[in-house]
Amino acid sequence: MFSYIKKIGWYIRENKKRYIVIFVLLMMSNLLDIIPPQLIGRTIDLINNDTMTQTLMWQIIIVFLLVIILSYAGTYFWGFLLFEGAIKIENILRSRLMKKFLAFSPSFYEKNKTGDLMAKSTNDLKTIYMSTGFGVITLLDATTFLLTIVLVMGFSISWPLTFFALLPLPLLAILEQRLGKKINKNHKTAQESFGVMNDAVLEVVEGVRLTRSYVQETQEAGRFHQLTENYLKKYMKVEKLDAFFQPLTILVVSLSIAISFGYGAVLVNNGSISVGQLITFNVYLNMLIWPMYALGMLFNVMERGNASYDRIQQVLDEKDVLDYEGMKVVETPEFSFNNVTFKYPLSKHNNLEDITVELNKGETLGVVGKTGSGKSTFIKQLLRIYPEGSGDLIIDGLNVSELDRDKLRDKLGYVSQENILFSRTVKENILFGKPDATYEELQQAIELSAFDEDLKRMPDGLDTLVGEKGVSLSGGQKQRISIARSLIKNPDILILDDALSAVDARTEQRIINHIREKRQGKTTIIVTHRLSAVHHADKIIVLENGRLAQEGTHEELSKREGWYKEQNHYYIKGGV
Amino acid sequence: MTELKRLFPYILSFKGIFFSGVILMILMTAFELVGPLIAARIIDEHIKLGEGNIILEPILYLIALFMGLKIIHAITTFFAQILLATAGSKAIQKMRKEVFGHVQRLPIKYFDNLPAGKVVARITNDTESILELFTSVIPMFMASILTIGSIVTVVFFINTWTGIVMLIFMPIIIVWGMLYKKYSNDNNHIRREKNSEMNAMINESIIGMPIIQVFNRQEQIADEFEAINDDYYKSTKGLIQLESLTGDNLANNIRSIVFAILVYIFASVYLSESTVLTVGTMYLLVDYITRFFNPLFNIVNQLSVYEQARVAANKVFELLDAEVEENTGDDLEEFKGNIHFRNVNFSYDGKRDVLKNINIDVSQGETVALVGHTGSGKSSIINLLMRFYDPTSGGIYFDDRNTIDIDKKSLRKFMSIVLQDPFIYSGSLLYNIRLNNKDISEESAKKALIDVGGENLLSKLDNGIHSELTERGATLSLGERQLISFARALAFNPQVLVLDEATSNIDSETEQMIQYAMKVVSHNRTTFIIAHRLSTIQHADQIILLDNGVIKERGNHSALIQQQGTYSKMYEMQMG
Repeated sequence: MFSYIKKIGWYIRENKKRYIVIFVLLMMSNLLDIIPPQLIGRTIDLINNDTMTQTLMWQIIIVFLLVIILSYAGTYFWGFLLFEGAIKIENILRSRLMKKFLAFSPSFYEKNKTGDLMAKSTNDLKTIYMSTGFGVITLLDATTFLLTIVLVMGFSISWPLTFFALLPLPLLAILEQRLGKKINKNHKTAQESFGVMNDAVLEVVEGVRLTRSYVQETQEAGRFHQLTENYLKKYMKVEKLDAFFQPLTILVVSLSIAISFGYGAVLVNNGSISVGQLITFNVYLNMLIWPMYALGMLFNVMERGNASYDRIQQVLDEKDVLDYEGMKVVETPEFSFNNVTFKYPLSKHNNLEDITVELNKGETLGVVGKTGSGKSTFIKQLLRIYPEGSGDLIIDGLNVSELDRDKLRDKLGYVSQENILFSRTVKENILFGKPDATYEELQQAIELSAFDEDLKRMPDGLDTLVGEKGVSLSGGQKQRISIARSLIKNPDILILDDALSAVDARTEQRIINHIREKRQGKTTIIVTHRLSAVHHADKIIVLENGRLAQEGTHEELSKREGWYKEQNHYYIKGGV
Repeated sequence: MTELKRLFPYILSFKGIFFSGVILMILMTAFELVGPLIAARIIDEHIKLGEGNIILEPILYLIALFMGLKIIHAITTFFAQILLATAGSKAIQKMRKEVFGHVQRLPIKYFDNLPAGKVVARITNDTESILELFTSVIPMFMASILTIGSIVTVVFFINTWTGIVMLIFMPIIIVWGMLYKKYSNDNNHIRREKNSEMNAMINESIIGMPIIQVFNRQEQIADEFEAINDDYYKSTKGLIQLESLTGDNLANNIRSIVFAILVYIFASVYLSESTVLTVGTMYLLVDYITRFFNPLFNIVNQLSVYEQARVAANKVFELLDAEVEENTGDDLEEFKGNIHFRNVNFSYDGKRDVLKNINIDVSQGETVALVGHTGSGKSSIINLLMRFYDPTSGGIYFDDRNTIDIDKKSLRKFMSIVLQDPFIYSGSLLYNIRLNNKDISEESAKKALIDVGGENLLSKLDNGIHSELTERGATLSLGERQLISFARALAFNPQVLVLDEATSNIDSETEQMIQYAMKVVSHNRTTFIIAHRLSTIQHADQIILLDNGVIKERGNHSALIQQQGTYSKMYEMQMG
């Protein structure tokens, strides 16, 4: 439990003043909180002893009102300071996580699922907010408040009565801790089962055409019944555990009250305490229920906070960031692969083997081959988003490992297979390639990528929001925006990684023609499934299982026996 | 209130359980209020007598009575919660199943106009919000009103002034509570929105990381994120400030003010010497006032839960009120496979015709290919054929029977569909092929898969046909998912096959794989194909070219090529 406090120790030390103020104010309001029951007990005693006077009454009331004002102010300040501290640490950690995310290499993302990383940046951060807010409150407030009341009960009323009456109360803490944990666990299972039900319904709704055409409506209803039944069972399990809470609390508290009256009567009888004191004692007893619960909760909250903090720390400690070594800058983008071999971090065998290719400035390279033949891996080597494999990848006479990676990327334009757009406007998405582009440059990029016609149909033109909150685009539209994003950069090397798969043949040809015209003298690499996209290339390479199988121009390759000829034949024949 | 009226029948289906729960809840309230009465009696009749005069034995009896009552109280509480949860969750299950069944009978049009997520939310989340109405809102309301009523009555008997004070504070607290609830709900809403915006940005950045890194935009993204993160921090900070000012802190101090007034009343009553308040009565008043606040807070809390449940119920009933499609026709007993479209006109919105005067004759075993640009009406023909929609005028005949007079389910039993985006259910491979149709044996399902060329897929999966397919078949390639839908179509052995070809450009291996499967499945079957790649349909008996809802060209491949019309132009373009 205290290990969590130790882990956020750096933060508490950095905000020492804040936490000292919190502690002082908290102690003050704790002391203030014990005064009202004393005042009530005293009033009752004064009346019972026939000693109440007008003056005494007003004295009590004035003290009472003062206590209320001070307690209100004190509680306000420490509550605010404490929770502000909790969101501040959440804010700091979130910012650190994001910075780290931006620096990680792709191999990190290969090892960690997006869902898990998201869970860390949402749920785990929320847990830390809880643990640093409620957790610390409970730790400070519940313990000090508990202690204060117990001391006051002991000193101002009676130690033996305090001891015996409080005997059952720790059960509440244990109850909360044990049962709370169990309920939490079961609640999670119930939520999962709710999730399963939800997914199944989504499946049925999305697959409604299929369900209807295969006449599966009745059976689906049967399946759904099973799922609701399952969820019902899990839900009731949580409810059954939860139903123990209140009754057990009633029993424990009643036992304490019974003891306080029974033993209290004895003490009043032998003159150790007054009737008013006994009533005050009872009020205090009721005030102890909350801290007892809180103590039980504290263990669980801190435990969860601890686990969450560890998970976040694990990401922050991760060393798999992109290296920034290499200072040299490329002038002319000609490059060659010399015996390059490469293996993905999670792969069992080499994904590229012994690749040797050379390309001069201004040439166009076509890369073709089956799915999984290593085409994309080849491209990723060039982008240096993975650590390089063995062999030399030379660009402009310099080995890539000597190059400044950011500077190299400034010269590259890359359109990937997955068309990743951001939930922003069309314009912002295109300008992502060159934030300071002029209006003319923007218009040109749109025309070159054959997006002009589509743009006319967009509700707000360039300012149309795309993605989840905006319009949903077709695969082809996304691909063309991605291409515009790269073209606006007018890069020295343009890489199209199967970037035209969702546009029709005519549009593809239009884009390819634009690229040929506008990019004369610049290097272009086209990875594709459709051979028509690389007919014009100066050089075409065919990859097979990570190896270079064939190399040549379209004319050469379509005559030579091999994969290229077969495929070319297939297309000419019209896919028979 | 109308929602409530419609909700009651659900809970009344379990009225035995529900009303037992309600009765126990009322008993529970009564037991809670009896406890302090016994304590007051102990004080007044025994302890008050003071030093040396107390006889312990009767006190012990009273304490035993107190504990006995508390034990019953605890047991009542336990069963009240369980009974109410059981009745509530069963009522919701019933409702859920009803909504699900209703959804299965809604016309396809409904799904084309409403996002799937919303339909799902009605069935799962909204019904879940209503659950609380039965398990907590209604019972809590009753118990709270009962508690407040009893306390106020008892207090009025004991001391009129205290009763009046209570009546004055009651509306103050309820108004405060409602304002506070509304205000904090509104603010939390804003906060949640900001939070989800922030999380969406993290999510998007993780997914778009390759693009961010390749375009060297890490700093820009980090700055933008920092701004959102700080914005969230600031708005949360403001909320915490207000929360600390007006939340529990204020509530506690209002309670203290009432106690201060109580001190004044006790002392004044004593000083006026008109009536006498015994110590026990004073104890009782203090205790009851403490208990008086919780039900008030409960009512305030439950009001907002009630509001949510009401909104949810409205949405659910809106769905339940949506008209289901009538399905009256006779069964189609026999069907050879001849299909005729006669002068079919069709419009989705009643304004613009998407199909105009369509006439198609297909004999048993023939293959018809539909080609044309997006929006030309290809999919509408399929929608009419499957009777997802019905023609505005004209008719579709199955062996000379107008389909409008045929029961939809019995009609669909003669057809199988393969959708553009192959849909995979979560479940085993076997389930995905035969769905819930147990007439298809495991062997024939397997055979269907092998027949369409899925032998590799079968051997690739660890558990063969029993392998579980997760996440909508995300682990499978598009081609593999397509094969499964073909196997499904084949296994159901329909008279008519409807194929909606995938639009995206798949690699040539996959294409060959699918072409093979298509040939197997369409063999000797009336087949409709929506084709995007013209290479796939050269064997079709009829090719129908649609443009803007009108049939522009028809004939087989060679005839259409000779015509030198739109089809031949499209064909040339696609072949590059």
